[in-house]
Amino acid sequence: MTAVQSTVVYDSDLRRRPLITEFQNFWRYRGLIRLLVIRDLTVRYKRSVLGVWWTILNPMLTIAVLWIVFSNFFGRGGVLGEPYVVYLTAGILMATYFSQGVIAAGSAIVNSRNILIKIYIPPEIFSLSAGVAAATHFVLSLLPLFILQLATGQGIPWTVVLVPIPLVFMLMLVTGLGLLIASAAVYFRDVLDISRVVTQLLNYLIPTFWTIDFIEGTKAEIIVQANPVYSFLVVFRWWVYGGPTPPAWTLLMMAGASVAALVLGVYVFSRNWRRVVVRL
Amino acid sequence: MTAPSPIEVHDVSLRYRLDRANVGTIKEAAVRTLRRQRTVESIHALDGVSFSVERGEIFGVVGPNGAGKSTLMKIIARVLPPTSGRVVVRGQVAPMIELGSGMNPELTARENIIIYGALLGRDPRHMRDRVEAIVEWAGVEEFVDVPTRSFSSGMMARLAFGVATDIQPEVLVVDEVLSVGDKAFRAKSQARMFELINGGSAVVVVSHSIPLLQEVSTRAMWLDRGRIKMLGTAGEVLDGYQASG
Repeated sequence: MTAVQSTVVYDSDLRRRPLITEFQNFWRYRGLIRLLVIRDLTVRYKRSVLGVWWTILNPMLTIAVLWIVFSNFFGRGGVLGEPYVVYLTAGILMATYFSQGVIAAGSAIVNSRNILIKIYIPPEIFSLSAGVAAATHFVLSLLPLFILQLATGQGIPWTVVLVPIPLVFMLMLVTGLGLLIASAAVYFRDVLDISRVVTQLLNYLIPTFWTIDFIEGTKAEIIVQANPVYSFLVVFRWWVYGGPTPPAWTLLMMAGASVAALVLGVYVFSRNWRRVVVRL
Repeated sequence: MTAPSPIEVHDVSLRYRLDRANVGTIKEAAVRTLRRQRTVESIHALDGVSFSVERGEIFGVVGPNGAGKSTLMKIIARVLPPTSGRVVVRGQVAPMIELGSGMNPELTARENIIIYGALLGRDPRHMRDRVEAIVEWAGVEEFVDVPTRSFSSGMMARLAFGVATDIQPEVLVVDEVLSVGDKAFRAKSQARMFELINGGSAVVVVSHSIPLLQEVSTRAMWLDRGRIKMLGTAGEVLDGYQASG
């Protein structure tokens, strides 16, 4: 045993200050977040024979199928200035980051029930950790994209150094949406299933394997562009392989939607956390 | 001047709204709301509970199932915030409630010790140095780099107990923990608990085992349906509880 000199005082009268407390917790618990992310990665890689390669292989298989099926459709239309396989891969990777991140962040609190009902840890830490783990997977999956860019002669432009910007904004978006889902999930068990379906649908609504010129000038185009994930997609394609330069509003939308989702998610969770822990 | 009590509980109540129909899905809720069938009622898990625990004291809590014992433990462990009243806990809390649930079976004993320690609020660097001592205490030295999936429940309990009691916490919360494991582990964990108590921890023990509480506790509280039925020396409270059947 070692003596630990501590002056930790818990006083239930010191109430949470919405938003401030949570963001302080994110910073205060950064060491634990790091460990939880490492745990998440270790567990995932230990479970499969292929280990870390599985994370890369998994989206690649999806991409291979889509490429075989759709390359004749979209690859030869001449609308794309870039190789279809690069266009497709970049789109699928960003869409996967979004859908997996939202679901992971949304289910993290319920999944950590065993810990949360016994040890005091701010629950929002688990949602952020799940988001960071999804971001890490996204970074790992960039490697095959780079290989494809080199193999197709598309190359890797200098703007690739800007990719951390959509990466971080996406982390904010998935953590915020995850906390909203988590707040609702303790009341209704089916919220997570519904979210799964909705994120899946949202992913079909953005041009991952298809191209926007199919719906150009229609009402459908407005619906597609109103989806914040669309702005991530076009900005990411622009920076990661030198895709077409998107209009300025996409940058604003990407940043605005992410900050709004994070602030709203944290705020709603903060207002509900007492009910969340009682019902866990 | 005396030091302030490690645990102070002032007039604490915990209420929550429970839907009798146990509505679990949005679909069900929508249907029930349309049919005006929602039956929400307020449950008083704890009602005006006040007490304090001093350093070196072992405070036993007894009561029938549903009396609010576990809820009280969660409030002291900071897991649940009280609806009204005030709780002050001074110092590190080591909760020992159903051990082992914080451990991940896919990770090795070493990895679990570090994560479990971090969850309990301890520095990972410090935990890394403590791994050897903890596995030795738990008697699992040979399996330190083996996934805990292959551990027996006894080994898991020893490991978790070893991590939780690796520091001298100011407050130790024990919920039925001493009833797990074999005789040797019970003796060993009791010895460790007394070490901590002698080191100055304030201990709260929840148990259904009256003989155990009679042996270890100095003061006791009898809870019934969220209220204090009796609060006093261990002898009188435990005798009173036993006499009530």
